[in-house]
Amino acid sequence: MSDISQSHINNKVGPVMRQGDLANAVAEAAEIDNPGKAITVEDKLAYLRIQTDGEMFLQRQTIEEMLGRPFSMNELEVDLASFAGRIDTKADYVRFHHALVL
Amino acid sequence: MALLGRLDWYNLARTTNWTPGSVTEDELFPPDMSGSMGIPLSKWESYDEPYKQTYPEYVKVQREKDAGAYSVKAALERSEIYEKADPGWQAVLKLHYGAFPRAEYSASTAEARMARFGKAPGMRNMATMGMLDEMRHAQLQLYFPHELCPKDRQFDWAHKSGDTNHWAIVAARHLFDDMMVTRGASEVALGLTFAFETGFTNMQFLGLAADAAEVGDWSFSNMISSIQTDESRHAQIGGPLVAILLENGKKEEAQRIVDMMIWRAWRLFSAVTGAAMDYFTPVADRKMSFKEFMLEWIVSQFERALLDLGLDKPWYWDQLVADLDHASHAMQMGFWFWRPIMWWNNPAGVTAEDRAWLEEKYPGWSESFGTVWDVITDNLLEGKKERTYPETLPMLCNMCQLPIASVPGPAWKVRDFPLEYKGRSYHFCSEGCQWCFEQEPERYAGHLSLIDRFLAGHIQPPNLEGALNYMSLAPGEIGDDAHNYAWVETIRAARQKAAA
Repeated sequence: MSDISQSHINNKVGPVMRQGDLANAVAEAAEIDNPGKAITVEDKLAYLRIQTDGEMFLQRQTIEEMLGRPFSMNELEVDLASFAGRIDTKADYVRFHHALVL
Repeated sequence: MALLGRLDWYNLARTTNWTPGSVTEDELFPPDMSGSMGIPLSKWESYDEPYKQTYPEYVKVQREKDAGAYSVKAALERSEIYEKADPGWQAVLKLHYGAFPRAEYSASTAEARMARFGKAPGMRNMATMGMLDEMRHAQLQLYFPHELCPKDRQFDWAHKSGDTNHWAIVAARHLFDDMMVTRGASEVALGLTFAFETGFTNMQFLGLAADAAEVGDWSFSNMISSIQTDESRHAQIGGPLVAILLENGKKEEAQRIVDMMIWRAWRLFSAVTGAAMDYFTPVADRKMSFKEFMLEWIVSQFERALLDLGLDKPWYWDQLVADLDHASHAMQMGFWFWRPIMWWNNPAGVTAEDRAWLEEKYPGWSESFGTVWDVITDNLLEGKKERTYPETLPMLCNMCQLPIASVPGPAWKVRDFPLEYKGRSYHFCSEGCQWCFEQEPERYAGHLSLIDRFLAGHIQPPNLEGALNYMSLAPGEIGDDAHNYAWVETIRAARQKAAA
């Protein structure tokens, strides 16, 4: 880990979800809602770290489709254990982003 | 009539500032309690919390979280996870439950301070829910270990610890009282919600949840990660505050509090989380080291977030990163060596498999910490257990209250950072701890470390018996080797096999 002093220089954003159905739905929604962007999913057994560079959107409707049941955006909090970047919470989507791009 | 969506009325509903008519602004929001730094009420209106939550939504979501945590516990109740767990994992649970539940009530007090004295309406709304979150955390973490009390008396410490002068609790309380209980709303928001909760609680409540899942303790894993979903929301109280402080020329003050609390949290977590991740969790289930979790959570995520808010990397950051190589090992060695003054049975964590893992994760471990464990191992193999017990007490730091330690071996370079202040000698483990003291010396100068209390004659008789009494460690609670030295026999068998 010789790069530890440089590891903070990144623009990764996205949710860290507790494992379960919602985490899997969010990982799928991240792919669909951010076309053309590379989404990485790190599985730490207890949680999934779902990330991309710069900005990530998660649409309520996409998560609802992935879950196959009604979903309101603030239910995300039930399993949203942490996140990289800043969060904007809206009725129909959440957005992760940075104010300062490194 | 069409109903408005929540976001259409949220800002209006929580805009609860008014111009006081019967009292002055400073009487309504005393500067010490608010931490308002001379910034007038009107400037706080622009506080824009990223997590907009109303109380009915909060209740619905929290109900769902609790249903999840308690139902997983109930479903697994008969699976005897605890009884079947390795004694190393049992030590993780005892350390966690002794260290955190009572501190959650202090965190609730801190949130209550922001809920009442925060000058920003959005802060008050978020902190009202944060206050309830922290009560939930205390109650979950007292309820879960309660069922373990009949199985193992050391779990009594989950509730009892907070009322004792146990050395580790004195250390935890010194930090938590400083960060949560005795500061104004702005300092609480900077220190507790930003530095501590967007940073370090992820280590203990998500990093350790990953270890718990590997061990198969889904009840604990699920419960602590559920706690972190609350933190994830109310930790966002600090961010918009930083924006207001920066806009009003208070960057230096914000940076100072953040720097102090990151350093203080780092010291405590290097002991509690460090030893749990690098030694207590059984080696077969240890996927990531403490250092790797620190890299994921504190460097890549938290340090990045710090820069995003317009703050700077703390001045001591390179030192903190360098300390990642040894802090957990030094603390673990102290935990095991002074095992009679712990409320848990401490694993040694130095079987052949453990040593190989430690050398892989921390190259150079065998030549430094390994050489000390060689001596301990040889003494045990030769039946000289008495030589593996301490005859003196460790020198404790007058800031973090943890032992002053460093890396053993040829490059032994333990260093004391001494300071004379108003005729009294203080000793610190690091430049960081000394710096914290010097920021507000009058705040800390009156505190006596456990060693200071010994020297002042507060602990009688001044020996182990007196110390155990003072720390409320009853017979049946005091610690010993977690595996009852079975690991020594494994090493003996391996050596005999090699010799034959």
